[in-house]
Amino acid sequence: MKRYRDLVHDAGSGVLSQLQDQTLRLQRRMATIRHKVAILSGKGGVGKSSLTSNLAAALAEDGARVGVLDADLTGPALAKMLGVRGASFRIGERGAEPPEGPLGIKVLSMDHLLPRDETPLRWKAPTQEGNFVWRASAEAAALREFLSDTLWGPLDFLLIDLPAGTEKVSILASLLPGMGAAIVVTIPTEVSLLTVRKSITLATELWGASTVGVVENMGAYRCTQCGHEERLFQGPDSAAMAREMGVSFLGRVPFDPRLAAAADRGVPYIQQDPETPCAAALRTVAAALRSFVERVGRGSPPVQKSEEYRGEGRSGK
Amino acid sequence: MKFVCVRCDEGMKLERVETPEEDGSLGVVFACAACGNRVAMLTNPWETQLVRALDVRIGGRSSPAEPMEFVRSMLASGREAGRDAAGPGRAASRTAPSSGCPFSAMANLAAQPSGTDGETGKQGNGETEPGEQEPGSVHRPMAWSPEAERRLERIPEFIRPMVRQGIERLAAERGYQHVTDLLMDEVRTTFGM
Repeated sequence: MKRYRDLVHDAGSGVLSQLQDQTLRLQRRMATIRHKVAILSGKGGVGKSSLTSNLAAALAEDGARVGVLDADLTGPALAKMLGVRGASFRIGERGAEPPEGPLGIKVLSMDHLLPRDETPLRWKAPTQEGNFVWRASAEAAALREFLSDTLWGPLDFLLIDLPAGTEKVSILASLLPGMGAAIVVTIPTEVSLLTVRKSITLATELWGASTVGVVENMGAYRCTQCGHEERLFQGPDSAAMAREMGVSFLGRVPFDPRLAAAADRGVPYIQQDPETPCAAALRTVAAALRSFVERVGRGSPPVQKSEEYRGEGRSGK
Repeated sequence: MKFVCVRCDEGMKLERVETPEEDGSLGVVFACAACGNRVAMLTNPWETQLVRALDVRIGGRSSPAEPMEFVRSMLASGREAGRDAAGPGRAASRTAPSSGCPFSAMANLAAQPSGTDGETGKQGNGETEPGEQEPGSVHRPMAWSPEAERRLERIPEFIRPMVRQGIERLAAERGYQHVTDLLMDEVRTTFGM
C-alpha cells in the first residue's frame, strides 16, 4: 500500500498552499523592515517590556523608524507603556494601520483588540474545554497575522517583545528564521540566570550565537537624592554568564522607580527623565544594539533610507 | 493527513467539506478517482478547532485572506464590535450610522447574532468556509447554516427572498460556499446595515 510520502499532492485539501501563501505574505511584509529584534527572557518580571519601550524611544530619538510588536498576547502592556491605549486601530484593504506612539513609534498589541481592561484573551470555540490542544496554534496564527498584516511600512527596527518563557520564542523563530538580534534580558540573581540560560541556549539554537545579546536590568540602585549607588541583587555577574555561554553582552541598566511611573503614564522614561543615569544607560544599550545588529549583518537593505537615522548620538534634543 | 483507497492503492481526492455545525464537528469527504469509493473523515470539536487555529480552510481558499481575518474572526470578545479596529467599508458595526433605509434596517436586524439585540450580544461561533464557485455563475442557491437561517428569519417574510438572494450573491462574489454566522456579521459591517 502507498505510504504518505508516495502521495505527492495534498489530496485537494489546499492546506499546504495556504501555509505557503502565509509565509510569502509574511516575507513580503517583513521585506521593508531592516532589523528584526526579539526581546525575550525565560524569567518574568525582569523588565522586558520596559526595556523594549525605552530602547524603541532611544532608537527613535536617533532618527530610526521604529515599530514595536507586543507579542505577549495574553498580558499585553506595551500599548499602555507607549501611551497608545485606546488609540485608533484601523483595518483597511492593505492591512492594519498601527497606532503611533511617542516619536512616531508604531505599536501593535493585542490590547488594541480587546474591548475592556478585564477582558482576557479567549478564542471562539465550540467549547473551551481542552483548549490546550489548539490554543498554541491559534496564538501562533495571531502572531503571524500581527507581523504580516500590519502596515509597518519601511522601518529601521521592529522590536518584538516576547512574553516570559520559551514557547513564543520557538514560534517566532519559525515565523522569522532570519532574526537580526535576540536580546535576552536578565537580572543578576541566580534564579533569573538559571532560567535565562535556557533562553540563551534556545535562542542560540534557533538563530545562532552571533545574534544573541544579553542585557542586565535592575543591576544597581542609585539613590535619587544623594546619588549613592548600590547593587540591588547579590547574584552572579550577567556579563560573565554571557561570556561563558559564548554570546554578547550589551550592557546594564540600573533600577529607577521612576521608570515604572513613566510606564504607568504612557511616556517613555528616557523622555520623561532624560538626564538620569538610568536614561543614559538605556541609550548606551540602544547604541550597543545598533552596533550589534550591524555586526550580525542580517539586516535587510534599507528601504527608503531615512536621512535622519545616522545612528550617532541623540538628535532632536 | 491523506487517504489511500486500499482496494485501488490510489490516493483519494477531497470531494467536499461539510462545514462545522453546532456540535463543532467537520465532515470531509474523500473519493477515489479510480473506483469512486468514498470515505468521510469526521472530526471532533477539538480537531475542528485545531484546523481553525492553523488559519487554513480545508479545500482551499478562493480568495486571499483579508487583513487580520483570523484574529478578528476568532476572538471571543473583540474590540471591533464596540470600539475602533474598523477600516474602510468596515466601520464598527455597533457604532455605524444608520442609513435610514427600512430595507437596511431589516437586513441589519437579520444580520445581528441571534439571541442578541445587536448592542450587547456577543458574536456567534459560526465560520464561513470558502469554496469554489462555478465559473461564470451569477447566482445560485447555497447552503445556509442553521444560525444564519435563524438570523434571516428575523426579517419580515415579504422581503426575505430579496435579502437571501443578496447575501448569497455576496457570498458567491467572495468565493464562499455556505452562508454562515460570520458572513452575516460581514454583511452587517460591510454595508453599514
